[in-house]
Formats: sequence, structure tokens, C-alpha cells
Amino acid sequence: MSAESVISAQGVAKRYGTFDALVALDLEVRRGECVGLLGPNGAGKSTFIGCLYGVVLRTGGRLEVFGHDPVREARAIKRRIGVVPQENALDEGLTVLENMQIYARFGGLSRAAADGRIVELLGHMALETKRDAPIKTLSGGMKRRLTFVRALLADPELLILDEPTTGLDPSVRHLLWDKVTDLRDRGKTVLVTTHYMHEAEVLCDRIVVLNKGSVVGVGAPRELIEREAPGFVGIFPRHAETALRPHLQSAWELFHQGHQCCVRAPRFDDLLDLQRAAGLVALQLRPTNLEDVYLKLTGRELEDNE
Amino acid sequence: MSEPLESLRLAWHVVVRNWLVYRKDFVANISPTLADPALIMFSLGMGLSPFIGQIDGHSYAQFLAPGMIATTALFTAFFESSYGFYVRMTFESVFKAMLTTPIGVREVILGEFLWVFVRAGLMALGVTLVLFLLGLLPNPWAVLICPLIAGFLSLPCAAIGLLATSWVRNINQFQTVYSFLIAPTYFLSGVFFPLQGQPALAVVVQFSPFYHGVRLIQCVVWGQFPVVEMLQHVAALIGFTLVLGFFAFRRIDRKLTV
Repeated sequence: MSAESVISAQGVAKRYGTFDALVALDLEVRRGECVGLLGPNGAGKSTFIGCLYGVVLRTGGRLEVFGHDPVREARAIKRRIGVVPQENALDEGLTVLENMQIYARFGGLSRAAADGRIVELLGHMALETKRDAPIKTLSGGMKRRLTFVRALLADPELLILDEPTTGLDPSVRHLLWDKVTDLRDRGKTVLVTTHYMHEAEVLCDRIVVLNKGSVVGVGAPRELIEREAPGFVGIFPRHAETALRPHLQSAWELFHQGHQCCVRAPRFDDLLDLQRAAGLVALQLRPTNLEDVYLKLTGRELEDNE
Repeated sequence: MSEPLESLRLAWHVVVRNWLVYRKDFVANISPTLADPALIMFSLGMGLSPFIGQIDGHSYAQFLAPGMIATTALFTAFFESSYGFYVRMTFESVFKAMLTTPIGVREVILGEFLWVFVRAGLMALGVTLVLFLLGLLPNPWAVLICPLIAGFLSLPCAAIGLLATSWVRNINQFQTVYSFLIAPTYFLSGVFFPLQGQPALAVVVQFSPFYHGVRLIQCVVWGQFPVVEMLQHVAALIGFTLVLGFFAFRRIDRKLTV
């Protein structure tokens, strides 16, 4: 393991009874990197995150976080990480300050140091006026920002974000993206899971796509797009398929997405030509993006267990 | 800081967290703990005493009094570590958040036992003071010793609550545990009637930590000191705490880490 490696996973597996939640996951995360974990529900993202700090005990492979094995040395790891879990799990009956004081003490901050740190972070998250408000009076976006404050109390080196912006409005989402970007610029390492492709593109230096417990694609967002799904996509109504088929070239790809029929071609002009030849106008013509990569790698149809 | 000390420090902060949450609904939280024994003392104790002869030289109210202290420990511990712990674990996801901090499952469980000890001890102190004011505690120093015994009695009771938590599939199933285990323990362990006339029952209750706590508190309140018997009760309480605590730890560990 190199000195710069924060997370080092080789063949990490997790089996529940006969179900393989993780098959053989390899992943290196270096200091200062922001890595995104993408994948359908049940792909193993949260299982892997749990493995990193010892609440999920892996059943195979090697795993080190800051050089420590989470099964045996979870506390050494947990002193250096901050986690924003899927559920906020704030104490609803307590105030903002009381909630944060408890977690500051868990994180090892002295009583004296805690309050200053809490006020500073509440300021960063635009929550300074909510210091004495009971949790139950906060909006969903405020609670999520407070969960970020909680994760940052002990000034962690590695930030683990499990679906950090699910269900939030765009302004809160942008605020959180700015904060995460700031943290990464200050040298923090970030591991984030998300279902929002745009979020992954904005935040992540590198993306790991998981499907059924295995890595199915790794790379920088642009690199993944160039490698897995380069070019442009024309989206047509499904009934247009018969009209389109005779005009497709062998290198192009035709696939279905819901009630739509999509054609991917290397050049934008190819799609314009296709429209003309088939006598159709596409619903949309656009460059390919991470979502196209994601859907290609994880399969476009829902599995039975969805 | 050394690891065991750090463990204790973290477990103590779990206690502080529970105390802060508990404090918010203090009156609601302490009401049943204090009202129930007061009602029993008034209805059964004061109400029946004139009709019941002396039991081992005590009026019925005097006979009931120590059992109320032990009962406080049983109920405080059982309800806290069954319903209370279960709600924290499932509905509130408290441990999901806690376990992302340096706190591990060991500290969560250690903290739970410490919390139950403190809470049961304080509640028992409240009940003891009430009994003292009613003139049912002839020995003033029992006011200090009884809450301490109640604290230690609460530990195996908390282990039973945690075992129930690890075992139920939904929160309603605690009612089964209450009806078939906790309620019989409460009614049949020598709190309400002496066991001298019930040889079979006297054997069965040996397997209940509650009975040993009841007897210890009765000895202290009544100012009787059968040393050998008391040492046996102390040993039994320690044994039950270690054995039940060990299994509770293993079962909850498997609930919190997968």
C-alpha cells in the first residue's frame, strides 16, 4: 500500500447467508481524491461503506483504511473519518447545540473546544441562527446540513457520504456540493455514493460503478463517457423504431429506455442525417453523459428485486 | 489514553446522551416509576395491613416496602433495555450514527448497562426516600444501601431486556416477554407474599436474579443479617449479571454489526 493510499480494498467480499452483497471489490482511494460510488439499489454501495468502519464485517478479501483493518482496528479508523449516513439519526427531542455537543464528545473534543467548533461549522452550513432550535423544528434540508456538521466535528481526514443529497432541493444540494468541493480542495479525501449522475460528475475525480456487488466500471467521469458511451444520443418515441432501423450503421447502438427508443452515434451529424433519412424529428439530441454510461454498465432493465 | 479507559470514557458519554434525552420528558419518565409503588403501598400496604396478621414480625406494609425498591430496579431496567433500546436501535437509528464515531458496539452496550445502573439507582433512591418518609424504613442508612443494591440488581434485569430486544421481531412481542417472564417474576418472587409456605416456588425463584435482589433489600430494610444467605444472593446476582450480560452482549453485537 502506498503512503498516499487512504482506502485500499482487494477482493473485498460480503456474503449474507447465500446472498453475495459484495463479490470481489477492488478499490484504491488516494489522499485528496473524491471518489464516487454509483450503482443501483442493492449493488453493494452501503455494504462497502459499512465494511470501511467495521459495522459490516467482510467475509473475504483484504481491506485497509489508513493502514488499519476495520475488523480489528475500527476505532483507529473512526477517529479519522466523518460519516454522513443515509439516515440523519439526529436526536429529535434535543436542540441543535445539544445534538452536536454529544457527538463532539464522542469524537474526543473537550467541552471547551466543542462549542467553538460547533458554532464555526453551523456558520459554514448557514445554520447559525438554529443553534438553540429543537431538531424537530428543522426542515429536511437543515437536518441534512446538520448531519454534515456532525460528520465534520472532529475534523476528519476522510469524509464518507452515503447518498448525501437524496430528497433535497436544488439550493441545498448546491450548498452541499460547494462544501464538499471546499473540503476536497483543503486536502480531505471524500467517498460519496449517489444516484444523481450530475452530482457524481460535479464532485468526483473518479467514479466506480458497482453492479450486483462487483465493479463494472472505473474512471474519471469524462474518461468513462469516452470509453463506455462516446458520441451523441438521439431520443425518439418507441414507435419510431421501425422507421429508424433501416438507416442505422453498424457502429451505432440502438436501445430502449422506458417508452423511448434511443440511438447512439459517434457524431452529432450522424443523428441529423438519421432524422432526415427516416423522416422523423427526435425528441432530443444531446451529447452522451454519465447516465448513459451508468445505464449501459448496470443494465437498462429493472431486476426482480427492485 | 489507554484503550480500556477510552472505552469507559465513550460508554460514559453514551450515558450522558441518554440522560440528556431522558431529562426532556423528566416528569413523564419518572411518573410510573414513582406512582406505581406509591399506589401499591397505599392500596395493598395501608389498605390490607389492618386485615393481615404479622409476617415475620412485620406489618403487611412493612413487608411490602423493600419489594417496591427491588421492583423499581426490575421495571426500570427491563423497560429501558427492551422498549427503550429497541426504539433507539430501530426507529431512531441512534446506533447507526453513534457507530460512525469512535464508539463501538462494546461501548454502546457498556453504556447501556451503566445508564440502566444509574437510572435504576436514582429511581430506587426516590422510592426509598418516599418509604423513609412513610416511616417504613427503620434504618436510615438503608436509604443509601438500598439504591446501590437496586443498581446492581438492575444489571441482570437489563441483560434480560437486551436479550428480549435481540430476540423480538417487532416491538409488540415485548408484551409476550412481559406477560410470561417479567410479570410472573414480579408477582412470584417474594415481594407480595413470603415464600416459606411454597417449597416448589422457593426452588424455582432461585433461577431469577430478581428474587436474590428482593431478598437482599428485604434483609437490609428489615435490619436482619443472615450473612451466609446474603453472600449467596450477592454471588447469585454477580453470576447472573456475568452470564446474562455475556449472552446479551453477543446477541446485540450481532444485531448492530452484520
